[in-house]
Amino acid sequence: MKLQHYLGGLENLGPVDFEKRVFVQEWEKRIFGIHTAMMAESVHLSAALPQYPMDTLPTTFKENWTWASLRTGAEGMQPFEYFKFRYYEKWLMGISQFFVDQGYISAEELDSLTAIYREQPDAPLPVQPNAAIKEQIGRYLHQGDSGLRGLPQPARFAAGQTIRVADPVAVDHTRLPGFLRGKLGTVARVYPGAFEYFVSTGADGLNGPMPVYQVAFDPVHIWGKEKSEPNTTVYADLFEAYVESAH
Amino acid sequence: MSNLFQYDKDREAASAAKVRALEALLIEKGVIGSDSVDTVLGHFESVAGPFNGARIVARAWVDADYKRRLIEDTPKAIAELDLPQGMDGAEGEHMIAVENTDTVHNLIICTLCSCYPWPILGLPPYWYKDPVFRARGVREPRAVLREFGVPLSDDVEVKVWDSSAQIRWFVVPKRPANSGHLSEEQLAALVTPEAMMGVALVPTPV
Repeated sequence: MKLQHYLGGLENLGPVDFEKRVFVQEWEKRIFGIHTAMMAESVHLSAALPQYPMDTLPTTFKENWTWASLRTGAEGMQPFEYFKFRYYEKWLMGISQFFVDQGYISAEELDSLTAIYREQPDAPLPVQPNAAIKEQIGRYLHQGDSGLRGLPQPARFAAGQTIRVADPVAVDHTRLPGFLRGKLGTVARVYPGAFEYFVSTGADGLNGPMPVYQVAFDPVHIWGKEKSEPNTTVYADLFEAYVESAH
Repeated sequence: MSNLFQYDKDREAASAAKVRALEALLIEKGVIGSDSVDTVLGHFESVAGPFNGARIVARAWVDADYKRRLIEDTPKAIAELDLPQGMDGAEGEHMIAVENTDTVHNLIICTLCSCYPWPILGLPPYWYKDPVFRARGVREPRAVLREFGVPLSDDVEVKVWDSSAQIRWFVVPKRPANSGHLSEEQLAALVTPEAMMGVALVPTPV
């Protein structure tokens, strides 16, 4: 089991920090921007519904980069380390490592240039604008990357049906909240069409387009009566791979 | 996790230098352009942001028929308004609005990460990404809401929406009392991202 999959329901955490800012340090904006530019340049977008012109994009970036990439990194962290770092600190670690691992940059050049910027925080960045990438970023942000696909086969479950949430083996990345594994719920809505996640998650079950269900849970069935609040319903959107017959 | 924001200055200076070095190397090597990061950030100042969500909510408050259409077919109702292009773009491809009433209070959460309806709300604030919120919001939403200043009586049903697949959720909060004299634009100015995620009420204007 991976703690990162099981946040829901963890106890003894104390109060929530009601920090309303999106970025608490200026540098956080830069790593957010780098990540989002990578998503806009991801090779997989050539198969996206908006038919992005990835083959002709003048970039040296030739990788798939999606939310699944970022999450796979976060879910692969030592779990106690995961909680020691702030949101964008984890992004910076994961994305830097990705570029080193894929051979785009070396750890040494990153370290030595970091040392230079540490000495001279205001030293300029190279000036090398790229109009075609700029345009692709705009296109991606405006048109997105919907996973909506045709339904390969009819949905197995219908609204009103009681289902049990699957409990597949924990892999590198999942879209199944851990606190729902094995629990009973009721299908509230079957979303029209099928949805394809960015990547296959292997034994976890996501692979190609499949229906997605909105499933309603009585908290008593998740946490037990003692640990539940009254008059509450928890809803989750679950890919069909995560949904099993209740019997 | 308040202590996450109390690290010594070195830690931030180290991250700031590292991200600048990374961006410089990526520009040099042709992975991104020197205008790429600013292009992304600019989008969230002028195109995508909570100013769009606020206009959608204000319209729903002044036009009950629009509110009905918004709940029934959210993307179609959003497209009716004169908002920037791209409201069904990245992280807004499939959005659904849920309505707070006298008997139902909705709370949006992403227990696995930080899924958030970018085009109409912009980027998620820190509280939404806080592991404590993500852990507690699904088991004791009423306790969390009390801490956020939203006390609810037990006869109000709480619906928690965990954004675990393709849908990005947002809340149409309750219109504040004594706001009948306000214009749609003035109403929009009252609507916060927190209200559209269900962790705040919209206060009655003074």
